[in-house]
Amino acid sequence: MLFNKRTERYFVWVFFPLALLMPLFLEQNTFYVSKLTTVMIFAIFVMSLDYLVGRCGLITLGHAMFYGLGGYIFVIIAPEYEAVNFWVYTFYICVIAALVALIIGFLVLRTSGIYMIMITLAFAQMAFYYFSDSIDFGGNDGVFIYVKPDTSIFGISLFDLDNPIHFYYLCLLSLFNTLFFFRLVIRSRFGRVIDSIHENPGRTTALGYNVFVFRLMAYTMASALGAYAGYLFTLQYGFVNPSMLAWTTSGSALVMSILGGMGSIYGAILGTLVYEGLHYVLEHLTEHWLLFMGALIILMVILFKNGIAGYLEKLLEKRS
Amino acid sequence: MNNAVILETEGLCKHWGGLKALDDISLKFHDRELHGIVGPNGAGKSTLLNLLCGHYKPTSGKIVHKGEAIDAIKPYAFARRGIGRSFQKTNIYPSATCLENCCVAVQRRMGGSFNFLRSRYRQQVLEEIATEALEKAGLGQRRDQVASRISYGEQRQLEIAMVLATSPCVLLLDEPMAGMGHEESQLIIELLKTLKREYCIVLVEHDMDAVFELSDKLTVMVDGQHLTTGTVDQVRDDPRVRDAYLGQGDEVY
Amino acid sequence: MTTSLFFVQLINGLQYGLLLFLIASGLTLVFGVMGILNLAHGSMYMVGAYLAWYFVQQTGSFTLSAIISAVIALAIGIVVERLLIQRLYRRNHLDQVLLTIGMIFVFNALQSILWGDDPLGVQVPEAMSAAIPLTDVVEYPVYRIFVALVCVAIAAVMYFMINRTRLGMLIRAGESNREMVECLGIDISRLYTIVFAIGVMLATVAGVIAAPMSSIVPGMGEHVLIACFVVVVIGGMGSIKGAFIGALLVGLVDTFASVLMPQLSSMMIYILMAFILLIKPQGLFSS
Repeated sequence: MLFNKRTERYFVWVFFPLALLMPLFLEQNTFYVSKLTTVMIFAIFVMSLDYLVGRCGLITLGHAMFYGLGGYIFVIIAPEYEAVNFWVYTFYICVIAALVALIIGFLVLRTSGIYMIMITLAFAQMAFYYFSDSIDFGGNDGVFIYVKPDTSIFGISLFDLDNPIHFYYLCLLSLFNTLFFFRLVIRSRFGRVIDSIHENPGRTTALGYNVFVFRLMAYTMASALGAYAGYLFTLQYGFVNPSMLAWTTSGSALVMSILGGMGSIYGAILGTLVYEGLHYVLEHLTEHWLLFMGALIILMVILFKNGIAGYLEKLLEKRS
Repeated sequence: MNNAVILETEGLCKHWGGLKALDDISLKFHDRELHGIVGPNGAGKSTLLNLLCGHYKPTSGKIVHKGEAIDAIKPYAFARRGIGRSFQKTNIYPSATCLENCCVAVQRRMGGSFNFLRSRYRQQVLEEIATEALEKAGLGQRRDQVASRISYGEQRQLEIAMVLATSPCVLLLDEPMAGMGHEESQLIIELLKTLKREYCIVLVEHDMDAVFELSDKLTVMVDGQHLTTGTVDQVRDDPRVRDAYLGQGDEVY
Repeated sequence: MTTSLFFVQLINGLQYGLLLFLIASGLTLVFGVMGILNLAHGSMYMVGAYLAWYFVQQTGSFTLSAIISAVIALAIGIVVERLLIQRLYRRNHLDQVLLTIGMIFVFNALQSILWGDDPLGVQVPEAMSAAIPLTDVVEYPVYRIFVALVCVAIAAVMYFMINRTRLGMLIRAGESNREMVECLGIDISRLYTIVFAIGVMLATVAGVIAAPMSSIVPGMGEHVLIACFVVVVIGGMGSIKGAFIGALLVGLVDTFASVLMPQLSSMMIYILMAFILLIKPQGLFSS
């Protein structure tokens, strides 16, 4: 079964129908629609990170590099004043990001553990400084996008990207597809090898698998999806800037994935929702929300190790 | 003993800095024979196994498998050539079922490991081969149990089943009876007796009775050096072997 | 590039490298002995700079300010280790990363609450505000030379401490074999507290002495943390000697790159790192 945990099935059955209906309730309030859109976009990014960290055991602190690259690749390859095709550019961006990930992964995956954490972070910072120092890409201000792509397939346009509700549904569809895709991958024969490598890399090598290549594949795949999320973010706000690649983006994504429940994939959605929700509330209560956020993270690490998904699974298991 | 030579070492050395863990070892391992390797602690037995399976790279010397020098290939490529090994410390996937443990091993040969979309659960042939390996190792009834929940002895059997599932031509077994009780050991000994009719087995083992009972050929190593190789009787009567063991003050048989 | 300019850049590079060493040595020491990757290490550098500014305002004396800051740093180190870091010894890298990220958030928020977000500056102490003329047009500030000398002095003290004293012996023993130290009947948790506090103090002192040379801004800690990562990755995690060589390399490469190829200057050290990784994935002096 694709969603093999009961909790996950429940979640999928509750979350997606609710998310489908949400714009009906919020029709008057496009602010919340676009807020939710951003959360869903970021959830795609967190999911791709969760796959790397939770399923593959590859702890990276540089995943935001691909989030930002998704936007920057778009402004680099797309003509400035001409609407391009959304689907074609999705393909381009994923392929280019995958190529970058292949090169970076080749270097990064030679190392492991603490080294890998530091090196991924260092590479992400390299990209960060490159874009924030460069005049061509507007430095810290980034680049604005004047014309949004159109989404027609064979002349039929499904989504109008300038319409927040349409964009909302595009992102919801993307989120569901990403979840579905990762579930497929985890269940596949490739997923079996990845699970084996996560549990016992030495043994997997001794059985004849080239562990490096499998990790590189997983890294490339997750990076391409991370770039896709960044591309969506860029389209939503109509600009790309270096803060997308900042290490804080990677850091908060990691926090969300832990909060949701490491390695559970669907937990990424929960984690992102709760984190962004807390952020939103704290930001309104106090100017110094960062202090409370930091304290919450510290408490979470010490007390709440299995995340929300882990907690829910425990709860539902007890009942059954 | 006219079986073909499958695996061969020529002047194999492994040095760690100034320490010679293994010095100039030349051995021949034959098909369908069990080749025991014994020696006191620190004799370099495990180092030898780690070199034979590609885990370590030799400082100098050659490893020849079916006529080809293979010491420069990558560790995973050893397993692909059919050189399978079991580990001294139990080295399995504890959270997966026994069947799944073996499926990982079988899948390497069956392919599809880069298939992102094909379900790992649609796999009749794969499971059949994995089950076969489990049964060969005497674990047929434990097929669907999680590996961390079976007994220690059974985990050792699973270890061997996983190697069998790779359909190897050479089995490198590192103390398969370590930490086992008498009855469990007996089970493994019976298992190895049947396996050696089919495979070339290199066995490193501390349990002398077991080694003497099983080996077609026996090599004694001391301090990284090759002392002697011969049949069990030849080795047993060799005075140097007695000296080597008595000199060490332990493990007198 | 003229000879004198080259010379100035050489000193600049060395001085920057030595400052980096001061920070990176704390990071690598804590990792080597305790196995903890402290991402909040850079925050302590920031805290040092802000403390220096604050106490210079209060006391008017840079020396006094430096001493008070160092003492406060020790106290912070002890409290943080006892309260938080101790819980991490048996946890995995990921938990370490997250908890120390939480710490960065807290430190950044405190900085913003206590001192605001506007850039601040500390005057170079009067006694060292002079500059040494190198040629008719080129001169070199005394304070920068002073900073370099302080770093060298601290490095020498550390070298002496690690190689000659009882604490150093324990540190070296703890690096190679944790259980052995425990078996010898030494209170390992106290050793850890001391080492962590020293690590924190090194970063803070670096922040203090760097304060008069650069503007004090939010986010300065993260910036320096990343540079330290590059240093430690190049030198080999856990090796003080590696941190020293790595820091000088990074300092020189960064300084000369910004003169010779300004477009690539901020990326040069990462390119250096990638290059060294290709040759030695575990760094130059890994154990």
